Amino acid sequence: MPDIEFKSPIAHGPVSAPDGSVSLEDETSTTKVVVRAATGTAAAADLGVPYGQSRLRADGTLVCGTRPGEWTLFAAAGRATEVAASVDTDGFVNVVDVTHGRAMMRVSGPKATAMLAKVCDIDLTDDMAPDGAVFSGSVAKVTCDLLRSDWRGEVSYLISCERSFGNYLFATLADASTEFGAELPTGLDIH
Amino acid sequence: MIVVNCPHCGPRNSSDLRPCGEVTSRPDPATASLSEWRTYLYMRENPSGWVTEAWYCRSGCRRYFTIERNTATNETRRSEAS
Amino acid sequence: MTHNRLPVRPGEVIDRETSLAFTWNGRPHTGLRGDTIASALAADGVEVFARSMKYKRRRGIMTADHWDPNLSVQVGDEPNVRAGSRRLVAGMEVSAQNVWPSLKFDIGAANQLVGRFLSPGFYYKTFMRPKWLWHHLYQTILRRFAPGGRIHWETSTHGAYDKRYAHPDVLVAGGGPAGMGAAIAAAEAGASVMLVEHEPELGGHLRWGDAEDLTALADLLAAVQSHPGIEVLVDSTVTGRYDHNWIAVMQRSHEVAPERLIKARAGSLVVAPGLIERPYVFAGNDTPGVMLSGAVRRLINLWAVKPGSRAVVLSANPEGDAAIADLEAAGVEIVAALDARVGEDIVEVEGRGRVRRAVLGDGRTVAADLVVLGTGWTAPTSLLNMAGDRPVYDPTAARYFPNQLPDNVLATGGITGNGSTVELVAHGSATGTLAANRALRNRHERRSSTARARSPEGPMPESLQDTRVPLARTPHPECYRSSSHGMVDFSEDVSSKDLFQASGEGFDSIELMKRYTTATMGPSQGKLETVNAAAVLAEARSMDMVDIGTTVWRPPFAPISLGALAGRIFEPIRRSALQDWHEAHGASPLLAGQWVRPDHYGDPVGEARNVRENVGIIDVTPLGKLDLRGPDVAKLLELVYVNRWQKLEIGRVRYGTMVAEDGVVSDDGVTGRLGEDHYLMTTTSSGAGAVWEMLEDYLQTYRPEWNVHVTAVTGGLTSINVAGPRCRDLLLRLVEDVDLSPEAFPYFHVRRGRVAGVSGCIIWRIGFTGELSYELHVPSGHALHVWESLIANGEDLGIRPFGVESQRILRLEKGHYIVGQDTDGLTKAPSAGLGGLVKLDKHDTLGLPELRASYARTDLPVLVAIQTDDPEIVPMEADQIVDGDSNRILGRITSSRMSPTLGRSVCLGQVDPSLAAAGSKVTILLVNGHRVSGTVQEHHAHVDPEGVRQNA
Repeated sequence: MPDIEFKSPIAHGPVSAPDGSVSLEDETSTTKVVVRAATGTAAAADLGVPYGQSRLRADGTLVCGTRPGEWTLFAAAGRATEVAASVDTDGFVNVVDVTHGRAMMRVSGPKATAMLAKVCDIDLTDDMAPDGAVFSGSVAKVTCDLLRSDWRGEVSYLISCERSFGNYLFATLADASTEFGAELPTGLDIH
Repeated sequence: MIVVNCPHCGPRNSSDLRPCGEVTSRPDPATASLSEWRTYLYMRENPSGWVTEAWYCRSGCRRYFTIERNTATNETRRSEAS
Repeated sequence: MTHNRLPVRPGEVIDRETSLAFTWNGRPHTGLRGDTIASALAADGVEVFARSMKYKRRRGIMTADHWDPNLSVQVGDEPNVRAGSRRLVAGMEVSAQNVWPSLKFDIGAANQLVGRFLSPGFYYKTFMRPKWLWHHLYQTILRRFAPGGRIHWETSTHGAYDKRYAHPDVLVAGGGPAGMGAAIAAAEAGASVMLVEHEPELGGHLRWGDAEDLTALADLLAAVQSHPGIEVLVDSTVTGRYDHNWIAVMQRSHEVAPERLIKARAGSLVVAPGLIERPYVFAGNDTPGVMLSGAVRRLINLWAVKPGSRAVVLSANPEGDAAIADLEAAGVEIVAALDARVGEDIVEVEGRGRVRRAVLGDGRTVAADLVVLGTGWTAPTSLLNMAGDRPVYDPTAARYFPNQLPDNVLATGGITGNGSTVELVAHGSATGTLAANRALRNRHERRSSTARARSPEGPMPESLQDTRVPLARTPHPECYRSSSHGMVDFSEDVSSKDLFQASGEGFDSIELMKRYTTATMGPSQGKLETVNAAAVLAEARSMDMVDIGTTVWRPPFAPISLGALAGRIFEPIRRSALQDWHEAHGASPLLAGQWVRPDHYGDPVGEARNVRENVGIIDVTPLGKLDLRGPDVAKLLELVYVNRWQKLEIGRVRYGTMVAEDGVVSDDGVTGRLGEDHYLMTTTSSGAGAVWEMLEDYLQTYRPEWNVHVTAVTGGLTSINVAGPRCRDLLLRLVEDVDLSPEAFPYFHVRRGRVAGVSGCIIWRIGFTGELSYELHVPSGHALHVWESLIANGEDLGIRPFGVESQRILRLEKGHYIVGQDTDGLTKAPSAGLGGLVKLDKHDTLGLPELRASYARTDLPVLVAIQTDDPEIVPMEADQIVDGDSNRILGRITSSRMSPTLGRSVCLGQVDPSLAAAGSKVTILLVNGHRVSGTVQEHHAHVDPEGVRQNA
């Protein structure tokens, strides 16, 4: 159904500081597929990365070890069927498309870590959360999956949460960005 | 706010986890007497000192695990996945 | 106005070129940039800054720093500003607090005449009887005693507060020489350092010291500022240390917010708070013009303010001696320089509003306007106490010292002993190195054990031994009280005489005495008074100080605004993919848990009626949805539900109820089998998270051998219930790949197909409202399209959206109970009207023994449908059902609405078994006190009890 628009829960466009210190944008249309695979299965071996790490596959899919025995695969929008089909389902393996179920946003810039430190208590220093690190925690009271995925030479994070929290999380991150000069679009104010 | 060592994630703030209390042994529900069942439901050692307790890593790996914690000092040790 | 400004002082922090205009109690004043509010006023000749809490005694500058108990002022709309440390800003409107009618003439000063009725604990002895005067008189009077400024509810211009998290390897509390030395050494060792100082600049006592001190200060500042690994926070306070070095830092002077709470998890905490100078207890010791040695040195050296003209100085230590030199340099005449070390003393100060005369220990009376005391130092051990230490009193040095600290907390500087600047910095350095070592070992451990972290490069750093040379415990006379009685707690107006009295009344332990007299419980929180209080108590009881102990120091170390503790409020709101549409179409919002949902669209009764007559659609996305996959799902369902699940066929749906291990009804929902190993479970919207956690608990810890994967899909699938006699007609227009005929798609079946062109939709036939209905679960990214298609295609069928309120009415007409509404936290299964759903002969169900026991009982309440005899009366939910004669409670109404279908009220309720039979009469006690009668119905359903309509 290429005609039917995929609507994101995030009702706002990108938010950024004019000097580029921090930017926030919606990435909800990203393909997101969760694979649960027991140890010893071909899928677990293929996916390879242990819990906490990620790798970029040759086909452009980002494979993330999001939980023990669980991987989340990220790819460009519209590739869910293809990505799901790439998983060997021999053994106790399950593949669930969560593209619709998770909102996702990207936070980038030299001040991205400082901004997240206002809403998240996880230690984000370079050696505790290096580029490629995969982890989950509470961001402004919403449980999120986070991935440090440096982008265009800048520190950057991909943050995903249960879809229904998407607009709230975006608004909260935008609010946290105002300390670094980000300008809020009208209608986006958590107070 | 104490630090709890999740065996999968590493050390985390306790707000990321849900404490599940002392580890208990569930009697066979088909044969347990009501008294045995209610001991399982309600009776706890509650020591001042080391206790074996379960935690759920709610905001992290979503695994249940057990640790030993000293209820007087909040020292913890030896995490094992349950 | 007398002008007390001195010529340029070497270390002054004022900018003589920049003048700042401000007001004090409405009168105009000017100060200089770099002045504090207090120093600017002192420069302008102001002597009285406040009136004391109880007796309204005039008070002036005593310590000229953050801890000065006499300098709490109101600045604009901000109360309780510490004028001794708050930097002056142009345009400030400063006023005295807690005075009436004015600072100059406070009627409360009359309290001094009735002082003996206001002795310690007076509020336990007075204002007791008659009781009826409490509201009108006693409260009003006692409010006058409450210190503190005013909050301007409407006009406050404070912005929002803020908070952030930090993870420094080493957090140094205190930016004096030892603290700076520690920070530099820790940073050199490779640790990340946060250095926190509560004054507006680093430097501690070096700032008002001699030329050598100022040079040392400049060197240390340069080293700190040039090191990239040190984050410096000035005008900020470490207010609390909690388990595992969870540390609260109150950051002020931040451009984002007036106060910002930083929650830090530090590898090591270095406590370098220095020492706080202690007042001396003697008659008149709270008279304006009585100052501590540090106060005059600060006034003279930092702000170039002459504190007086003729001074009496009582010194017991080198700092007191240094004050004499500074006073002389400022042109103050020293009329008497008394040495406490050889027994000289001051006995009394006379003067109202300012020192006029001093009576010395040798009997002389001298005229003076300034009395300077350098009689002792108190160790601010709060943070150490919070780390579990019980500091020990050393009578030779006349103060408390740290005793035993955990590995991750280290003390350095003046709090550990005395030394020259070089020695203090050296001790700080050694401490910083040690702190960094422990923190880096901790970091190594964390990197090894944290899944996402980069593994450490080398081996664990060796543990360094603590080879620090302790600072000397220089002997100091125990100089607490003169031969006269004087003020001990300046904030609470508690004198040494009060403490003697309290001890005499039996409140003779330090904890009891504190609570009875309120000494140490004021804004100072013991910093200036705890040790004197302990000394006085020791005197009163003829005991040694060391045996008296101290009270327990609890966070916060310094006051924090409640707004800063609250910070940014994070209150997640969940919205379905359709909520924007609902709001655009007049939906009244309902907050249900974290969700915002449409309650109705302006006409809940009409919307409900339309479902029975035509077709309505409702967004039920908050319904908990769990995707279950694996060969053992049926076993899991059999365990968690009270009924049987092993034989549910593909394409079938079943209703299930869950009880907890204690037999209490915990959740319910329908679960459908989508494929061989694939099920979709629904739960109540409020129970979704708890059910998910419970399933994971039993799968991981009880039956780890079962192969089941649980994925939460509540938000990923937007759920739309399409209900009403015409709903099939509507769906026929939009659903593809599914045969919707009743023969092919019976009640309680599930199919998958496309709706409005959207594939991946799950459709099942269930019936909460009692009408023919289908529930669609649509991938949320395309859900709005489906909803809008339904609306567009159903226009000629009479489609209207309906909300939660209409659904409540409809389901109540059908007698469908709601877990948590018609049951509560104690309701056992027999009281939920489950009939034959519960299978007691299974091998394993959650709560099985309790289920069996509960079904053997005859006394449990019964869920029944009730109709009031008067059809117009709609009882409130939770109205009690009582025995008409005795008033004994026999039950309650759990759900109640006016039924549009029947034109009369309908209820569900929990009642005593004696009233459960159909036809029983019940008495309902309404909130307005009236009793009305009702009748128990035969079925739970008030409308269509045979269920004909939904099975169509």
